[in-house]
Amino acid sequence: MSLLAPAASVSARFDRLKQRPVSLSVRGLTKHFESPRGIVTALHDVSFDVHKREFMSVIGPSGCGKSTLVRILAGLETASEGEIIVEGVPVSGPCPDRGMVFQGYTLFPWLTVKRNVMFGPMMAGRSAFAAESEAREWIELVGLSKFENAYPHQLSGGMKQRVAIARALANQPRVLFMDEPFGALDAQTRCNMQSYLLEIWKNVDITIVFITHDLDEAVFLSDRILVLDANPGRVREITEVPVPRPRSFDQIADPAFLATRRHIEHLIHPPGAEAKESFPVLKFSAPDPDVV
Amino acid sequence: MSRPATFPPMASFLKGWFVVRRDLSRGRRAFLAALSFVLPLALWCFVSYVPWIWHPDVKLEVASTTERISAVFTAGNRLSKEFFPTYVDAVRQDNAEALKVAQAGESVSGAQRANRVLLRQLAPVAVSNGWLAAGSEQDDAAIYHLWREVASGAKTSTDPALSQENLAIVKANWSVLSALSADFDSKKLPPVPLQKLVPQGIPSNPVYLPPPHEVWAAATKDFTAKPAGDAPSMFDRYRHSLSIILLGFFWSCVIGVPIGVLCGVFDVFSKLFEPFVDFFRYMPAPTFSTLLVAVLSAHDAPKVALVFIGTVFQLILVVSKTTRLLDPALLEAAQTLGAKPRQLVMKVVLPGILPNLYNDLRILLGWAWTWLVIAELIGVKSGLTGFLDTQGTFRNFDRVFPIIILIGVTGFVTDQILAFFHGVFFPWSGKSGPVSRAVASAVTWPVRTIVAGARFRTASKTLPSA
Repeated sequence: MSLLAPAASVSARFDRLKQRPVSLSVRGLTKHFESPRGIVTALHDVSFDVHKREFMSVIGPSGCGKSTLVRILAGLETASEGEIIVEGVPVSGPCPDRGMVFQGYTLFPWLTVKRNVMFGPMMAGRSAFAAESEAREWIELVGLSKFENAYPHQLSGGMKQRVAIARALANQPRVLFMDEPFGALDAQTRCNMQSYLLEIWKNVDITIVFITHDLDEAVFLSDRILVLDANPGRVREITEVPVPRPRSFDQIADPAFLATRRHIEHLIHPPGAEAKESFPVLKFSAPDPDVV
Repeated sequence: MSRPATFPPMASFLKGWFVVRRDLSRGRRAFLAALSFVLPLALWCFVSYVPWIWHPDVKLEVASTTERISAVFTAGNRLSKEFFPTYVDAVRQDNAEALKVAQAGESVSGAQRANRVLLRQLAPVAVSNGWLAAGSEQDDAAIYHLWREVASGAKTSTDPALSQENLAIVKANWSVLSALSADFDSKKLPPVPLQKLVPQGIPSNPVYLPPPHEVWAAATKDFTAKPAGDAPSMFDRYRHSLSIILLGFFWSCVIGVPIGVLCGVFDVFSKLFEPFVDFFRYMPAPTFSTLLVAVLSAHDAPKVALVFIGTVFQLILVVSKTTRLLDPALLEAAQTLGAKPRQLVMKVVLPGILPNLYNDLRILLGWAWTWLVIAELIGVKSGLTGFLDTQGTFRNFDRVFPIIILIGVTGFVTDQILAFFHGVFFPWSGKSGPVSRAVASAVTWPVRTIVAGARFRTASKTLPSA
């Protein structure tokens, strides 16, 4: 199964992308967990580069270690082996130059929207006044100026996640990690949030590593998609998405989009694999609805 | 055909009370909440005022002493309904014997003295009718005249009404007495035994369940009475109890909250403190009472210390658990935003656990009342519990109940007020109602105004000068 040959403009874009300096470099990343049944390898020799201002998605079957990978990249967990280099500096522990957006929003419920966004700059020692004016700009960017004095419990899921994005961006990180950020949202909101995210990414100088299990989301958003294998988590392939930018939802039916989607789907679930599982077929006496 | 006009509202009132896992309407909830207090009160009244519900005892209004039974009763005593007829029969037998002796006409040694005591049988009746001041039950001269007045019909007892049998006895006795002397003279009392008044009583509940009106009367009396001499008034006692519980609880918060938070945040403190704390809390605080009195001497200090010991160990464990319950994702998020360990504790852990901490302290304050009751009995008895204990020993249960109720009401009202302020202090926890939001905005109004003014001034300075 091969991809369609990309259009000339698209391949030129990828050439330019690869010319750009590497923002995040992962080399030989391995993670072992100790479990009662012995040592489990969650990630095995994962290596990849993310270029500056690239949008890369990480996708894979459940249990392939996507979340572990991004937690290690953010510094919340330590790798057993391998190294991570962000703009030339090796990673050791959490640091504001790598932002993170979690699936569960993780807004501080005791702070208003504005204060949540001010949190990072304040931690960096910025004055309250400077932090506040910065926070206002980021809140405006995610379109929540009207809600800057609201508490998180007064916001909808989508709004909370926008605040979380603004909060992460307020630190002006080099790389933004997003761990299934729209996983808890309903389908409608999720589509809006995807457009929003692309809009933000267009306007902010940032590299995004986006964890998801949703194929459409990955293809719609990314420049390249890192496909992971499960047990242990390994890099299966890094797929370039030959869909031209700027993206819109009309492109979902484009041949390039569909071909990429099918290609990745086959990487994750090889054809014929489903046949291994067989479900008992139950016969009911109800007539076929078409017959009636 | 006309429909009955009152039926539909009644039917709609009865509908919808029992729906599985569905909240009732506001009105119904308020109604039930009121009912939950009214029902026990109604039950108390019912048991107290409807004689055939319980009333296992007889409360004596007229009492006699007789040697035929081993116990001595006075007016106001209670004895069981089953035993009362035996007591009455014993007195009647005494009377029959006395009549026989009187008919024989021979003087009996000691009879004069016995008669003098016998005449005082009328005293409780006289007191309850207001003929005689309480405390002058041994004023024989006055009592002697009362015998005359009751016998002649000049005075008729209404509370209690004397039975026909007793009125006859009064008249018979008075005819004997008046034949000897018109006024009291201990030398001129009959030398033969007089008849005793036959015991009279009303059905009553046991002494430990006084009726509501008696409790109310005792409460108003105790709370308004001027204390005799150095004795503290009831409000002094109340203030004293409150000061002990608040002081004990204050120290337990000052010591317990920081330790609890440290245990919740740092595993090293948790492993260092918690095993011992866990062990210590199983040693009941009252077991330390004698030790505390020995160390801190017998004033308020050991009492405060007892409340402290009773609450602080629970508090440490509860606070450390609350701290651990804080969503770890918030800590991770703060770390990715650049928070250092000290900032994590001060800017994330503390504000994050505050609403739950507040609730924990509220619940523990309720526990502190339990320890207060014991604390006030150690060393020198004091406060409300000291009063409670003393009155309980005298079986003055009508004075005990108001104190118990006062402690309950204090705890309940404090808790309700603190629960209300939860919404005022923590508007972001999403549990605040409209009233607490209004209070919160009223309280923070001056601060907000000042901040807004300062911001306006700063902003106007940065504007390009006109």
